[in-house]
Amino acid sequence: MLGLLTLTIFLPALMAAPVYLVGKRNARLGAVLGIGTTAAVFLLSLSILAVYPMGSSGFQLRESASWASSFGLEYKVAIDGISLPLLLIATILSLLAAAGSWDLIKTREPEYYALFLIFETGIIGVFTSLNLILFYVFWEVVLIPMFFFIGIWGGPRKKYASMKFLIFTYVGSTIMLFGFLALYAWTGAQGSPSFDYETLVQRVPSLIMPFQLVAAITTFIGFAVKLPIVPFHTWLPDAHVEAPAPVSVLLAGLLLKMGGYGMIRYNLFLFPDAAEILWPYFAVIGLVTMIYGASVAIVARDLKRMIALTSINHMGYVLLGTFARNSAGIQGAVFQMFNHALAIGILFLMSGYIQKHAGTRNIDELNGLRGKMPTTATLLVLGSMAAMAVPGLANFISEYQVIQGALSANYLFAVAILAPALTVGYFLWMLRRVVLSPPAGPKDELPLRSLLVLAAFLAPLFVFGAYPGPLLNSIIKPAVDSVLPSIVSPGGP
Amino acid sequence: MVQYAPFISLAVFGLAVTPVGMLGNGRMKGGLAAPVALFGLLASLASTVWLATRAVPSGPFGPSPPVLVMDSFTYFFTGILLTVSIFVTVASFHFMKNDVNVAPYYGLLILSTLGMIVLAASLDLILLYVGWELMSIPTYALTAIRKHDPNSNEAAMKFFVLSALSSALIVYAISLLFGISGSTNLVTISSALGGVTSDTRSYGILAVVMFVVGFGVKMAVVPFHMWIPDAFEGAPTTVAALLAAGAKMASFAAAFRVFIIGIGLFNIDWYSTFAIVAVVTMTFGNVAALMQKSFTRLLAYSSIAQAGYILIALATPTTASGNPVGIAGGLFHVLNYSILKTASFIAAAAVVTRLAVTNLDSFNGLARRMPQTSFNIAVLFLALAGVPPLNGFFSKALLFTGAIYSQFSWGSYLAIAGLLNSGFSMGYYGWIIKRMYFDEATDSSRVAEPRAYMSVLWAATLLTFVIGIYPDPWIRMSQDAAAALMSARPLPAT
Repeated sequence: MLGLLTLTIFLPALMAAPVYLVGKRNARLGAVLGIGTTAAVFLLSLSILAVYPMGSSGFQLRESASWASSFGLEYKVAIDGISLPLLLIATILSLLAAAGSWDLIKTREPEYYALFLIFETGIIGVFTSLNLILFYVFWEVVLIPMFFFIGIWGGPRKKYASMKFLIFTYVGSTIMLFGFLALYAWTGAQGSPSFDYETLVQRVPSLIMPFQLVAAITTFIGFAVKLPIVPFHTWLPDAHVEAPAPVSVLLAGLLLKMGGYGMIRYNLFLFPDAAEILWPYFAVIGLVTMIYGASVAIVARDLKRMIALTSINHMGYVLLGTFARNSAGIQGAVFQMFNHALAIGILFLMSGYIQKHAGTRNIDELNGLRGKMPTTATLLVLGSMAAMAVPGLANFISEYQVIQGALSANYLFAVAILAPALTVGYFLWMLRRVVLSPPAGPKDELPLRSLLVLAAFLAPLFVFGAYPGPLLNSIIKPAVDSVLPSIVSPGGP
Repeated sequence: MVQYAPFISLAVFGLAVTPVGMLGNGRMKGGLAAPVALFGLLASLASTVWLATRAVPSGPFGPSPPVLVMDSFTYFFTGILLTVSIFVTVASFHFMKNDVNVAPYYGLLILSTLGMIVLAASLDLILLYVGWELMSIPTYALTAIRKHDPNSNEAAMKFFVLSALSSALIVYAISLLFGISGSTNLVTISSALGGVTSDTRSYGILAVVMFVVGFGVKMAVVPFHMWIPDAFEGAPTTVAALLAAGAKMASFAAAFRVFIIGIGLFNIDWYSTFAIVAVVTMTFGNVAALMQKSFTRLLAYSSIAQAGYILIALATPTTASGNPVGIAGGLFHVLNYSILKTASFIAAAAVVTRLAVTNLDSFNGLARRMPQTSFNIAVLFLALAGVPPLNGFFSKALLFTGAIYSQFSWGSYLAIAGLLNSGFSMGYYGWIIKRMYFDEATDSSRVAEPRAYMSVLWAATLLTFVIGIYPDPWIRMSQDAAAALMSARPLPAT
């Protein structure tokens, strides 16, 4: 049966052609239609939240249809407490990034909004599909619009950045695909081949260990390129620096989350026995990524590059928390993805606005923002506080949970505490140079609509920072705790 | 007789097109050839579809053991090859518009297509050879049809010499097999080879090697690929489309018949040989494609790489339990490759006709000059690279699954090699898209895009999406064809 979830997934893609055709006649009208579609999808996701049974574990709102049974393909989507927060963040961020594009994207708008909507379908599909090939299809549907976003609307080195992005992530994806195809073939050798996620959860433990390890490692590589981990991260700073600001919001806010989601859903939940062996390596990679990302962000001159490197740092928490393999760590990882998307979203969009108004993104040249753009400066401080994980904002809770989870896995992960310390350091230094320096020009504030878009990113962070209960206890925690016993007790469910 | 309708209509129209095309005078001269040719091809395709969808007339027809077999495998390839030929014919409406040799062109095109489908249907080596030559000889003339163009002549010469060599090797292989088994029928040969003795065994191996080389030349397998880039670049671009998709895929059909039925039970390990050749072919094709400066040469090398993927089906045809997953994947990829590659060459023809150059610099900013062509090339290339939800992804996935699924322990490495190759092939497919959409043209004036080419391109793009979004019927067709191929094998002697 198809229903609400399917509508949410495909509404954006269905609207892509109308948005393009309307946009060809009247670019601004097309933009309104595009932004309106993302708003409608956001409302649909709220209605999913409304019908989602709070406190439930396992997959809800299942919808399925036959697709290509000759090759084990089935259209099957559902959400659980791990995909629901990501589904929400996908629709929120798409709406806000589309709204932010209104002022920042002025060329070839019909193509832009059409691709934007195709991207949104892909990203929602990734977070909801329960068939491995369906997942892969949505995974790649995300890739192509992003390639065009960077290549057409990007900065001076856009061609290099877009090709690098395409090849890195596409090669990563094909390695991941090997893991999926191998699972089909290996379960086939056992009797009946399957691409179905829930069937595989039952059957993967009966595969021999080398097969489980191979599948776990190949899929990990695909996710790791997207997350990204060191040393597969080099596409990210280039892509971010060249991408237009709203696209950076999508890239950091949503595309990276695909990697984090994949690691939880596949590497941890689907291959628990392999994770039993591999978790220390993955967690250490997470730790290295956290500290590396923070360290290189210190020396970044370009505000946007600094923010981009921050997200490498913050996605390291997701990896560390996931492979701490305990309730606090995994909850923290999911919550961290939700919070990071919003925090990085406001910072990236703001970097775009600042560049448009101040003419530069160079931290050393951007001085006196407090005098020139007082409200923007305030929002920049608040956004930075979110990225620094200051208590009172939701980011604090998630990073705390991750580090707590890591510590209970092994006390040596106490090193992780270095990462937030470094993060606070470079953010404060950036704020001192950008905000607190004497102003060098007249006042030039952003229009109210831009300020409202920026403030909208912060609102959930304050709300969930003060009262994370509903999201953590009623949605994320039940989903994590119901799967956890089968993960930490090796040998099958 | 009715079951041979696809052949008969091609034979009749193939012979009739040229004289009919000669009718008329002045501006009308040759004007009838193209529509008549198209009608013949459509009639043949319609009869194929009609035969394939109704119950096949049972009972023996023709001599026994049969020389021609009308099974799902034959219908599958006939459908594909006729579609390729129809695409080429429609594109030739514009491409050959002012050529003096337009009437013979269409006649040769149809006769060559007839050769291809005979090749796909034959179960007897003599008929197979007849089909092979009927396919090849018209293509030499087609390659050289612009007799005042030195490139066209050079391409034809190279193509002819290598192709003649491959024909000679095939004849020799056939004679060796006849010597061992006393038959030219593939099924009879196969059962005879089960009991081959050690002193005739080495002749059998020699015959296998000669078949590999002979078919390999046409299949564009490394190291027999040398003629491909030169011929595809020098030949008229629509003829290159016919060679790259039609002749090449028909050779694959013959290879499937010979290797799976004929010597499938012959007790030598040709699987690992094909695996090595597959990896070398796909890797070489992709690496060489990265270095090309001309669009048609890039397409030629990309077609070599794609031949490497299809070879995986010959290396790992079945699973341990005998389920032909690999063959089904290979056949599905043949279907998708044929559509994609024909259309890519026809896109090249559109660019050649309008801009008169094919070097890659002329593709800079093409999206503004020829938006329809550029969009279609982008879709076709993404499908060739294997991006879902386009058709190329699903056939590659099935093909690589077949490799992992096979009884060989190296199957997984073969799949990894194929997947990594697909990944890196994005380097040049993406590069062309980058040139068309991200780079700026030196001259950005809008160029008219002829309707003949565009109709083919849009049809191919539509098929790419339709097969990709709902692959089920097409996968089933490939599986049926694979099952038909396997069922023609005699039961192994126990």
